[in-house]
Amino acid sequence: MRTYILKRLLQIVPTVLMITLVVFVMMRSVPGDPVVALLGDGYTEEDAIKVREAYGLNKPILVQYVIWLGKLCQGDWGISILSGRPVLQDVLVRLPVTLELIVLSMGVALVIAIPAAIIGALRQNTWADYTATSVAMIGVSIPEFFIGVLLLLLFSIGLGGLLPSSGWVYLPGTCPMMVCGVSLWGNVQHVLMPAIALGVGRAAILTRLLRTSMLEVIRTEYVTTARAKGLAERPVVFKHALKNALIPTVTVMGLQVGFLIGGAIVVETLFAMPGLGTFGIDAIIGRDYQQVQGFTLITAFAFVVINLIVDLTYTFLDPRIRYA
Amino acid sequence: MADSGESFGMRTRPISGGSTREAELPGVTGVAWPASVERSESPLAQGLRRFRRSATALVGVAIVVALILVALFADVLAPRSPIASDQTRTFQRPSWDYPLGTDQLGRDMLSRVIHGSRISLAVGVSSVLLALFVGVPCGMIAGFYGGRVDTLVMRAMDVILAFPIYLLAIILMVMFTPTAGLIGTMKVTAAIAIVRIPIYARLVRGSVLSIKEKEYIEACHALGVRDPWILLRHVLPNCLAPIIVTTTLGIATSIIVEATLSFLGLGTQPPTPSWGWDLKANVAFIQANAWLSLFPGLAIFVTVLGFNLFGDGLRDALDPRLK
Repeated sequence: MRTYILKRLLQIVPTVLMITLVVFVMMRSVPGDPVVALLGDGYTEEDAIKVREAYGLNKPILVQYVIWLGKLCQGDWGISILSGRPVLQDVLVRLPVTLELIVLSMGVALVIAIPAAIIGALRQNTWADYTATSVAMIGVSIPEFFIGVLLLLLFSIGLGGLLPSSGWVYLPGTCPMMVCGVSLWGNVQHVLMPAIALGVGRAAILTRLLRTSMLEVIRTEYVTTARAKGLAERPVVFKHALKNALIPTVTVMGLQVGFLIGGAIVVETLFAMPGLGTFGIDAIIGRDYQQVQGFTLITAFAFVVINLIVDLTYTFLDPRIRYA
Repeated sequence: MADSGESFGMRTRPISGGSTREAELPGVTGVAWPASVERSESPLAQGLRRFRRSATALVGVAIVVALILVALFADVLAPRSPIASDQTRTFQRPSWDYPLGTDQLGRDMLSRVIHGSRISLAVGVSSVLLALFVGVPCGMIAGFYGGRVDTLVMRAMDVILAFPIYLLAIILMVMFTPTAGLIGTMKVTAAIAIVRIPIYARLVRGSVLSIKEKEYIEACHALGVRDPWILLRHVLPNCLAPIIVTTTLGIATSIIVEATLSFLGLGTQPPTPSWGWDLKANVAFIQANAWLSLFPGLAIFVTVLGFNLFGDGLRDALDPRLK
């Protein structure tokens, strides 16, 4: 097991390197030049050459990548061409917002999905099951931003501005800057709608998967045995059935991470949140090479690590699975 | 030679995945299998019967058919031009003249929603087909030949899969530079197709790995049937069921991805009407004109729902094991 984890941890490095290299090359083949945007109206060919030299943009792409990598090893994520700020600082400022959003949305997903799936599976083909599966079907079919719009209509406009439609207030103790809005209630108000918008879709997918695998597991012999030996329904459902039913579900949730990143970008854009999602999309559209690299690095890293965690969860859920 | 596999009585129990072989070749059946043999209902017919019994699947089909009709006859159905603006009639509330109101440029929302179906359907369907036409052969060759070919193809797929799907799609769109019209639509299609190729390659490779060990494939080899023919005639039909299901459900996902790219401003550019773009553009006016972003969003929802119901029904019908 330990060698397996070590092997997987070592695999993270080449994967992240490959993703960042591919993005590096792709971004530099994008038409348009950040230098032109930076110089704006006062653009002259001489200034452009100077700026390119200052940022090392005149060197061959692979050389630029190696330089970027070398600096990264020293903890230097580079300096944004357009804003002039260190990329690492911006990433760190925005990371807590996105982390909170993603963690809470996964929480929303689990809180909805696990009871819905259990009820659906235990009371198969009753009205409760039909309701759960229909709602899940609807949830799978609504894009995050439309749920967001519906929530905006309901809570920001319909109920007289109960929840703010945009912006962000930090949790006490997490303010990464000199000055920022800090309040627990304000934070809850700001994160509620985005977390629900992002979580509902996940909840729907989770419900469908979990209900199907619960149905399979419940018909297995060891569940019948557990019931036959007089075990109460609760431990049968939670300890015997749910734990085993979670295995295929966890796999798919791991695959969903790629979609979750897209969802975070969209939801942060809709609610104008100062998170990594808006940071990334602004950087990509503005062709801010250094920021894009920073964004890619942290997303790729998160993506790979989460997939590793998913694989390791198997051994917890099913001790029969052993990684040699 | 061509049908040697069957004429040697190699037809074993049909794969429960639902082979469509019989249905495609009605003329051959009489030759290959003596008419005296009582034939049970083909898997496809069984599947169709199961599909017809499912009310939700039929609702899905109805939605999909209606959408295709709307997209095909958009010019006839739309009361006005989707791109003609009328500065004197901006932000009209829904009325008889403008059933869904007008946007900030005075464009008729109903016409925009109707025309928007074209982009959604075109991108949704063609991106999946493109991914299918690249991914399926890749997966078949990788699975069938194994060895170095397999490693090479699947490593290439792993490179794409290593990316979070949206990150890759967004950067591809920035690379392609989004534009309006047909070219713009083709760019979005290509971007979505690229990120979805590995799904089909992996799916098909998995099926082929198990199918190629079956006796009837061995019989083909023994009879000297050439590889391309084995792949097309004997392997492909037996992995069709999961491909069909994944394709239908994949269209739903692709439509969401397209809408998301449009929402981020990276889809087909205006003036070409696109639901995602319309929704985003009108969110700015949501305070006073709530209905504007409501209708494009509803359109996306209904479309995706239609394909999801259709795909779910197909899955239950074609492959009960997957249920």
